Amino acid sequence: MKIGKVNVKVSIVAIAVFVFFTILLLVTSIYNPEVRSQLIWLIPGLFMLLVIPIALNYMSRSEYADLEPLYEVQAKSVRIKLINESMVGKVVRVEGVVEQVHFQFLNRPQYTVADRSGAISVKMFTSPNEDVKVNDIVEILGQVIKRYIVTGDPVINCVSIRKKIKAPE
Amino acid sequence: MTIEDKPLHIDRKTERYLEIAIPVASFGATLIGILLWMLGFEINFQFFAVGCIIGSCLLTYLAWIRPKKDIVALSTPIYAIIFFVVPTEYSVGVTLQLLYSVSLTILLIRLKYRFGAPGTAAAMGKQLADSIKTYIEQTSSSFTGVRPDTAHDAAVVFVQFAHGEYREAARRAVAAAIGQMEDVGQAATIVRAFSIVKEHSILIDKSLPRPLTYEVFRPEEYGLLAKPQLPAYDDDHEFYAVLDNALLLLLSVAWTNSEDDRPHLLACQTFALKLLDE
Repeated sequence: MKIGKVNVKVSIVAIAVFVFFTILLLVTSIYNPEVRSQLIWLIPGLFMLLVIPIALNYMSRSEYADLEPLYEVQAKSVRIKLINESMVGKVVRVEGVVEQVHFQFLNRPQYTVADRSGAISVKMFTSPNEDVKVNDIVEILGQVIKRYIVTGDPVINCVSIRKKIKAPE
Repeated sequence: MTIEDKPLHIDRKTERYLEIAIPVASFGATLIGILLWMLGFEINFQFFAVGCIIGSCLLTYLAWIRPKKDIVALSTPIYAIIFFVVPTEYSVGVTLQLLYSVSLTILLIRLKYRFGAPGTAAAMGKQLADSIKTYIEQTSSSFTGVRPDTAHDAAVVFVQFAHGEYREAARRAVAAAIGQMEDVGQAATIVRAFSIVKEHSILIDKSLPRPLTYEVFRPEEYGLLAKPQLPAYDDDHEFYAVLDNALLLLLSVAWTNSEDDRPHLLACQTFALKLLDE
């Protein structure tokens, strides 16, 4: 779904929650007259289950879209090997192969990206512009952070992930 | 195990005792509770959850002393409090505590096999790791006599590069290479190392690709390098190996001749270990 220039994606979990409560509301309103009298509140409430994730995704996507040109200017192209905990806060550009993809269904994808010098975790706190799959060659723009904010190994907080070469089908 | 490899927080024996203590404390307290109830002492069963809480705290400690942190193991005391703060009946309490003890044991196994060993002094940046120490010992005699200010420059360039401050590293490397005119056996090699780091720092800072020609060490200097220049290396590999060698050489110069900078170099040790890694 496109709102303005932002391509909004709703996670499958949000849709599943919406569908579950819709069915629940339908069933209970059929059997329970008291629920039917509350439908004027319950139906808007039900739609909020979809509207809120859409709004949040729109806000985060537009925020990331604003950050992308800034990161484009600031980022230094580095090998993954050079990224270490002393670089926390630095904006980097990394190119590599996607080895693993996790949590894409939550709109919070986490990738393991490797180049010839090593591998690193890349976290994204919103849905990416493109559907990135394992074996895609990608360019990542992001900031080096610690995995658990104050502790943990360095990871990249990704602002943009772009496919350079698609994985063979 | 060498002195450099020793664990920072606890020795292996204590760690093993703590690992055993987790299931012993959590299952043990619950089993004592069951036994007392069977003997007719109907004490509030909530008290026997103390074993689970102790087990959680021990697990948290074991997770905390590892360089790679396990957020699940670290947060178990919070769950222990949430689960056991409310008084429960005997049957519910037994089930909850036994299930919790099983979970703690599974988390302990997960911690051991997925999150590595507790941090050693080297891994935590308190001591020099064996591999780096060996390289520095091999090369230190060649770099003895380097002026302290040159060694300090080498430390600053290394640290700035590790911190991703490439422009500053390049600037400092240029100044250091110009100033490095003393009559030391390996002065030319040190100057070359500064020049290589400068060249790479500028390329990274400006996000430029690998140039067709670039500065390299000479064959007679290979003995001073941490990583051998293998003939099997392709152009990219060779280009980056030159930088790794130059940075490690500056580390050796700095460590040997600038004691005041050692804490800063130790703080960047994980970076040096990555450079040394093939």
